[in-house]
Amino acid sequence: MNLLEYKGKNLLKKVGISVPPSIVTNNQSYINLSFHKEKYTEFFFQNLDVVIKAQVIGGKRKKNNLIVSSNSYAESLKFIDEMYKQKFNDALIKTLLIERKLNVKEEYFLSIQYHNDQILIMFSNKGGIEIEEISKDNKPITYYVPVLEEFNDFKAREIATLAGFESKQMLQLANFIKKAYNCFIKFDCKNLEINPIIKTKEGLLFAGDAKITIDDSAVCRQDEFKDVLDLEDTSFLNDRELEARRIDLNDHRGVAGKTYVDFDGDIAVLASGGGASLTCMDAIIQAGGKPANYVEYSGNPPKEKVKKLSKIVLSKPGLKGCLIIGGSANFTDIYETLSGIAESIKEVNPKYPIVIRRDGPRRKEAFEMMEKFAKENNFDITLFDATTPMTKAVLHLMEKLK
Amino acid sequence: MIVDKNTRVVVQGMTGKEGSSSTKKMLDNGTNVICGVTPGKKGQEVHGLPIFNSVKEAKEYDKKINTSVIYVPPLMTYDAAIEAIDAGIETIVVITENVPIKDTARLVAISKEKNIRLIGPSSVGVWNKHGTLGSIDGKEKFSEGNIGIISKSGGMSSETALMLTNSGFGQSTVIGIGGDPIIGNSFADLLELFEQDADTKAVVMFGEIGGQYEEQAAQFVKEKKFTKPLIAFISGKFVETVSRNLAFGHAGAILDFGSGTCDSKKELLKKSGAHVADYHHEIIDLIKKVLK
Repeated sequence: MNLLEYKGKNLLKKVGISVPPSIVTNNQSYINLSFHKEKYTEFFFQNLDVVIKAQVIGGKRKKNNLIVSSNSYAESLKFIDEMYKQKFNDALIKTLLIERKLNVKEEYFLSIQYHNDQILIMFSNKGGIEIEEISKDNKPITYYVPVLEEFNDFKAREIATLAGFESKQMLQLANFIKKAYNCFIKFDCKNLEINPIIKTKEGLLFAGDAKITIDDSAVCRQDEFKDVLDLEDTSFLNDRELEARRIDLNDHRGVAGKTYVDFDGDIAVLASGGGASLTCMDAIIQAGGKPANYVEYSGNPPKEKVKKLSKIVLSKPGLKGCLIIGGSANFTDIYETLSGIAESIKEVNPKYPIVIRRDGPRRKEAFEMMEKFAKENNFDITLFDATTPMTKAVLHLMEKLK
Repeated sequence: MIVDKNTRVVVQGMTGKEGSSSTKKMLDNGTNVICGVTPGKKGQEVHGLPIFNSVKEAKEYDKKINTSVIYVPPLMTYDAAIEAIDAGIETIVVITENVPIKDTARLVAISKEKNIRLIGPSSVGVWNKHGTLGSIDGKEKFSEGNIGIISKSGGMSSETALMLTNSGFGQSTVIGIGGDPIIGNSFADLLELFEQDADTKAVVMFGEIGGQYEEQAAQFVKEKKFTKPLIAFISGKFVETVSRNLAFGHAGAILDFGSGTCDSKKELLKKSGAHVADYHHEIIDLIKKVLK
C-alpha cells in the first residue's frame, strides 16, 4: 500500500519528525478552501510562499507540473484551480497538500528498505533530485542493519559521520535518521523514502516529502490503519480499472479484476495465474506486440465474475486481438470460466481474432462448447490445450495479426 | 533431495481447509506424513493422523520427525516456524502467503543462524519421486527423470514440469521457492543441492524481475560452484515497460530501487555460462541442446 505524501507525513509526525506547516484540501475548488481560509491567508500575511502539491502516487511530480509554488494569494488560488483541472494517469487530481515554503539551505536523501535479512539505509547529502541523478555523481551511503540486531543510536551517528557531518549537525541528523527508522519498524513499512530532507536556513530539519509503502500483509496488525478504510488511494485508477476492481468487492469467490491495469496497446489479455500472466505479457512484448491491459484471475471465480471481467477486457476500443491464457489449472473449472467468457464475446461481438490456451478440469467439454459457439456465431477463436506451450500460443496470435 | 526416504513430516495447521486438503495430496503422493499440529486441537484426527498442541508434542510422538510444512495464517507463521525450529525440525516449507516482510526477514536470519533449510514463504511446495511437500498438485504433470526445476512462481513450476513431461524430459526434484521479495532458500542455495544430487543432470530456473536472487545464482555458476547445465527463464520484462507503480500479483516482481532488471539478470546469467530462454517454450530447445 503506497501512502500519499500527506498520509506518509502524518506517520512521520507520529515519530517526532518535523514536517512543514500545511493544509490538506480534497475539494474540487479553492472556494471550498474557506474552511481553511484563515490558516491559508496567514501564509501570505506573513509574506511567505506556499508550495502546492498534487497528492498522487507516482514520481516526477515537478516535471509533470504537479508541484508549483507561489508567493501571492491571488496567483496561488489560480494555481489551485488549474491543478484541479489536471489529470494524472487519466484521473482527476483529488487532493492537494498546500505547504508553507521553507527557507531551504540544504537538501538530503534518505531511504530505508529491506534487503534480504538486513535493513538497508541509504543516505546522500545531495537530495531533492531523482535518486538516479544522485547516484551519478557520488554514490549514496549504504548502511546495513541485520534484522536480528537493534538500530542503536551509535549506528545512526555512524551514518551521519560517514556522510561528513560533525558535532551538533551530526547529532541532529543522527536523531532524524533514528526517528525515520523507528517509523519504518513501528508501522510495518516496506519502503520509506524522504527526499528531500530539508535543512532550513534556521538550521532545522524537515521531511520535505514522504514516499512510504506499508506492507499490505501487515496492515491488519497495525491499529493505526484499522479505521482508515480509504487509506488505499485509488486516484491513480481510471474508470475501467475501477470497474474491474468492483467485481471483487462484493464477491469473494476467486480473484477477478483486482489486478486490472490499462495500457496503450491493442492486444487484450485475460490471464490466469501470476507467473503465467507475466510470462505471456513478456512474450507479447518480445514478439513486438503491445498489450492493451494486464489482468489475472485465479482461484476458481464463478462464471458471472469472469463474464464481467472479460466484458471489460474485450470491449476496450481499438483492439486487434485477444489472448485468453493460463496454465493447466488444478481447481478452476474451465467450462465455467469459458462459459462466462463466451457470454461476453456474444455481447461485445468482437471482429478480431481470439486465441485461448487453457487446460484443467472440464477442459474437453469447455473446448467443444467454445468450438460450437465460435462456428455458430462466426467468431475467430483458436483453442489450445496444455500440449501447446503457452508462449507458443502467444506467438500463434502474433502470427495471425501480421 | 529435500524429500527422501528419511523424510518424516509434521503439518502445522493440518486442521485448516488448506492444511487438510494438502495433507491428503501429500499422503496420496507417498509422503511420510506423521501427524499434525494445531494449538488447542490435541486429540483430533485428520485423515487418520493425530493432531497435537505443539511441535514439541509431535516430536515426543515420533522423534524422527525432521520436516514441517506450514499452513497457519500469515500473522501466525513466524511464530509457528520458530516453534518448529525450537523443537529441532531441520527442514521447514512455508506454504502460507502474505507473511509480513518484517517477519520473513527475521525468520530467514534465524534459519541461517541455526542452519535450517527454509523453503518459502509462499512456496507451492516440493515434488520428487519420494513424495511431495506442500500443495503440489496434478500428478500427471510430473514425471520421473533428471531435470531439476527451481521456480519463484508456483503455477509455473508445475507448468514448466508439464512442458518437460510432454517433451519426454522427466524431473528429479521440483521446488517452488516463492515469489516474495525475501525468501528462505534461494536459487543459489538449491543449486548447491542440485550440484550434489546424483539424480540431476541439468536444472531449469524460473526467475522473476526484482530482488537479487537471480544475480546470486549467476555468481554461483560463474564461480563454478554449480557445474551442470543451467537453463534460465526470467519473467517480468513487461513490468519494466510500465512506469506506473502497481502490484502485479507477485510481490517479488515489483520493480523496486536497487534490484535487477529482467535484461540485466538475463545478461549476467548468460555471461556466467547459463543458457537463457527468451520465450518459456524455448526451455525445451535449450534442454535438448545441452543434453546432447
